[in-house]
Amino acid sequence: MQHSLLVFFAILSVVITAVFIFVYQSSLSASEENQGMKNTLQKRGWFLLILVVVLAMFASITIPKSPYFVYAKDIPSKVIHVAAGQFYFMMSYNAIDPKNPSSDPSIEVPVNQVVEFRVTSLDVNHNFGIYDSNNVLIAQTQAMPGYVNRLRCKFTKPGDYNVFCLEFCGSGHQIMRSSFTVK
Amino acid sequence: MENIRLKKITAIWIIAVLLLFVAAITLGIIMRLNQADVMHLNPAKFYEDMTVHGLTMIGIWFVAGMAALNFIMERYVKTSYSANLIALIFTVIGVVMLWISAFVGQFHAGWTFLYPLPLRPLWDSWAIALFLFSIAVLGVGWLIWTISLMAALLRKYSISQVFAWQHLSNKNPEVETPPFVLISMISLIGVLTSLLAAVVLLILLFAEFYTHGSFTNDPLLMKNLTYYFGHTIANEMLYLGLAVIYELFAEISGRPKWKTTWYVTIAWNLTLFFVLGAFLHHMYMDFVQPESLQLIGQFASYLASLPSAAVTVFSIIVAVYRTKIKWSMPNLLFLIGTCGWIIGGVGALIDATISNNFVLHNTLWVPAHFHTYNAMGNVLFSLGFFCWFSTQFSAKEVVDRMRSLKIALLIIGGIGFLAAFYIAGADSIPRRYSNYPSELAAGKSYALLGAVSAMIYLIAIIMFFVNITKRCLKMLFTH
Amino acid sequence: MLKNVVYTLVIITCLCSQAWSQPQSDLREEENIYEQIYNAPLKLIDGKSTTVLQLAEKKPLILALIFTRCSGICSPYLLQLKENIKSQSADATKPFNVLVLSFDSEDSVADMVNLAKRFELLDDNNWHFAITDSITGLIKSVGFHPVWNDNIKQFDHDALLVGINTQGFIIKKLLGMRGESDVALLIESINNEFIPTYRLPGKSSLFSCFNYDPKTGKNTPGLGLLFIALPALIAMLLLFGIRFVVRSKSS
Ligand code: HEM
Ligand SMILES: [Cu+2]
Repeated sequence: MQHSLLVFFAILSVVITAVFIFVYQSSLSASEENQGMKNTLQKRGWFLLILVVVLAMFASITIPKSPYFVYAKDIPSKVIHVAAGQFYFMMSYNAIDPKNPSSDPSIEVPVNQVVEFRVTSLDVNHNFGIYDSNNVLIAQTQAMPGYVNRLRCKFTKPGDYNVFCLEFCGSGHQIMRSSFTVK
Repeated sequence: MENIRLKKITAIWIIAVLLLFVAAITLGIIMRLNQADVMHLNPAKFYEDMTVHGLTMIGIWFVAGMAALNFIMERYVKTSYSANLIALIFTVIGVVMLWISAFVGQFHAGWTFLYPLPLRPLWDSWAIALFLFSIAVLGVGWLIWTISLMAALLRKYSISQVFAWQHLSNKNPEVETPPFVLISMISLIGVLTSLLAAVVLLILLFAEFYTHGSFTNDPLLMKNLTYYFGHTIANEMLYLGLAVIYELFAEISGRPKWKTTWYVTIAWNLTLFFVLGAFLHHMYMDFVQPESLQLIGQFASYLASLPSAAVTVFSIIVAVYRTKIKWSMPNLLFLIGTCGWIIGGVGALIDATISNNFVLHNTLWVPAHFHTYNAMGNVLFSLGFFCWFSTQFSAKEVVDRMRSLKIALLIIGGIGFLAAFYIAGADSIPRRYSNYPSELAAGKSYALLGAVSAMIYLIAIIMFFVNITKRCLKMLFTH
Repeated sequence: MLKNVVYTLVIITCLCSQAWSQPQSDLREEENIYEQIYNAPLKLIDGKSTTVLQLAEKKPLILALIFTRCSGICSPYLLQLKENIKSQSADATKPFNVLVLSFDSEDSVADMVNLAKRFELLDDNNWHFAITDSITGLIKSVGFHPVWNDNIKQFDHDALLVGINTQGFIIKKLLGMRGESDVALLIESINNEFIPTYRLPGKSSLFSCFNYDPKTGKNTPGLGLLFIALPALIAMLLLFGIRFVVRSKSS
């Protein structure tokens, strides 16, 4: 996913740069009597129309894939409770008491089934970012104090998954981590 | 007489901005070197750097845009020198307070100081107070400046004229609104809104701070306010630069001045609204935000790009294409800056798509795109203005011998520095990590590439700095 | 500007005193979620027999556990449930039944008939009153633990509502006396409507931007939203204000 986005971005950047270089070159080689572009208003209209169509297509393809909508109709096979704090994650099969938090020593979730993470924070804003065994970020949600965010995922590959914090939370932000196993 | 004072204070702004820019880039390079494992700062130190770097950069490029706007606005209306001076004094005081709170008080909540982190007992409470007051001082100074510039415009133009509405129905209206005036007004209102959001945010933070937690805030509301302020000001400061381009590009190129047309009017009037909705894309991963607002965030972000692309960028292309132009440093910088601006915009749009944000949010993709339209966009707009400003008053023709070298260094350094961010972002490397865990060790090599490229960029900036400052100093000490 | 500050301060001082009067969070609501409910056989008061799953299959189910001798929470709690449900707008896309089930083995069908009569729910098609002979399995599956107190001859127990979807999964639980909007949220949830977040009780919701209103499925603006609207509003006011001031000065 990320890599195709990078390629997509790189192609667009090259195209944009090429257009600018081309336009600049055309100015360098222009003589006094060159009149510049003709029918600019019409061209502008077309340009805008194309942009609108492309963006509308982009929106209609991507919006249904938003995390709030995928798996919304499924019944998760498992709930994992997550409480983030400075600078740790607690994960448990049972609800975590904010006043007396405790976690399970290891977490296992089933492969190819929808699971739900209920993520909250005990102090500041954190984030629950799930990395697969190739260290690719595959899902995330924020951990906000006072709220529980419900993240539904389906893991298609068994293995060890890491969790990192993706919201700056203080001087130990970079050491916040946890992990779980998909079986 | 008046103009001499304005010229001098603008020159002071320019010197101050460039000086702080070099310092802040150095902090940026230190961060990259630390991430590359070449330097070994203690993490708190790293995050102090990061907080100062972020806020200083946002601050200086905002005031650079404002100073340029103020200088050019004097062509059309009479602006207030005292407001300009107050802003300068407040900015200097605010920046000093900010640096002390971070480097002495060890305050390091990031430039967005997202509630409740700043109020946590991770640093001394005087540092929290000093930090909040530094933001307040900056905010007050800038509010005064913003309102005074708005007042200057409104003294001459009525509400409908300042938004150029008369151009919608009439091709040649009696009172013409120059594009510069229109865009200035639109950006100033955006700036004003974001500063007011900061005021509300600060009041709520102070309330919790001084009641020692017997009053508590809602984290979701605070996050919305934070980005309402932070995103909007970062966005509007680009538009300040665009206002200057609308005014100067044709002039420097020796072409007829750009005129306001009906589509320029529509585009900028719409921009006012779209920009104010775009900040919602910072809350995509807060599922607690209602879905309708998430979708508004995506649409507003998309829509905000349309007027700028179809009007501003297209206008610049039209102005250049097969047209004989006197190319000089300022308009070259404007052209390259525009290119950098829209490439950064593409990176932003990709990230402003909810389903992409799911895997890009708070990775290095985020600094990647905003550094693109800052370091390779807005900075170049302002540098262009600085170059033009520092040369236009000298009697003899200025020959810029190292023009190609400077531009080459800027572009090569800039591309390397940004590519390191983009590739790392696509490789899932998180942003705001002082050191990378072993699983994400790839981040170290990207950081090294980023650091080295940024040094190249810095060389170019120092060359600009020396050149421009020399001329500005001369301006200060002659009459 | 000044007005903004004053206004904000007034609101803050008026309201910050009441910030802490909310119920405490109860973690037991998080237990047994997405588990299958125990399929107890039911004896309904109209004489028919069925099971929990069969009943749930027709429409998602809200299960209320009570006993008729209760001199404590059962009556007020049932009454409130009735009121809360009555105030929901009838939405055909979000159907549900209520099952009022006794957890006391001494309760008979006749006791339950009396209860239904007392609450005027005897003829309501959405309400089912029942007893069961397998109460232990059922209460265990929903995490309900009444304790007999011999001193007062009563059960010590929670006020519990369990939401069950048509496949018999426990989707959501509500503990304690709860408001209309919580019940509406329960109804949404058992109709498999995914709401990707919820608020922890016990936190101040004073300045929250939105209060989720499941009745309409919408988020109603909270006081916090005012703070989001405020900057744009004041900016607009200032725009007109400045124009007014500079013009009256110049003329
Ligand atoms: C070549 C010059 C620059 C270098 C080397 C540089 C370097 C960096 C680095 C390493 C970070 C931290 C990235 C991370 O999250 O890991 C950063 C963050 C940031 N930079 Fe720059 N930067 C440069 C120019 C700019 C410019 C021109 C701006 C203008 C607005 C800017 C604004 C910011 C902001 C706002 C942040 C975010 C700070 C935070 O996360 O709190 N930077 N920069
Ligand atoms: Cu964290």
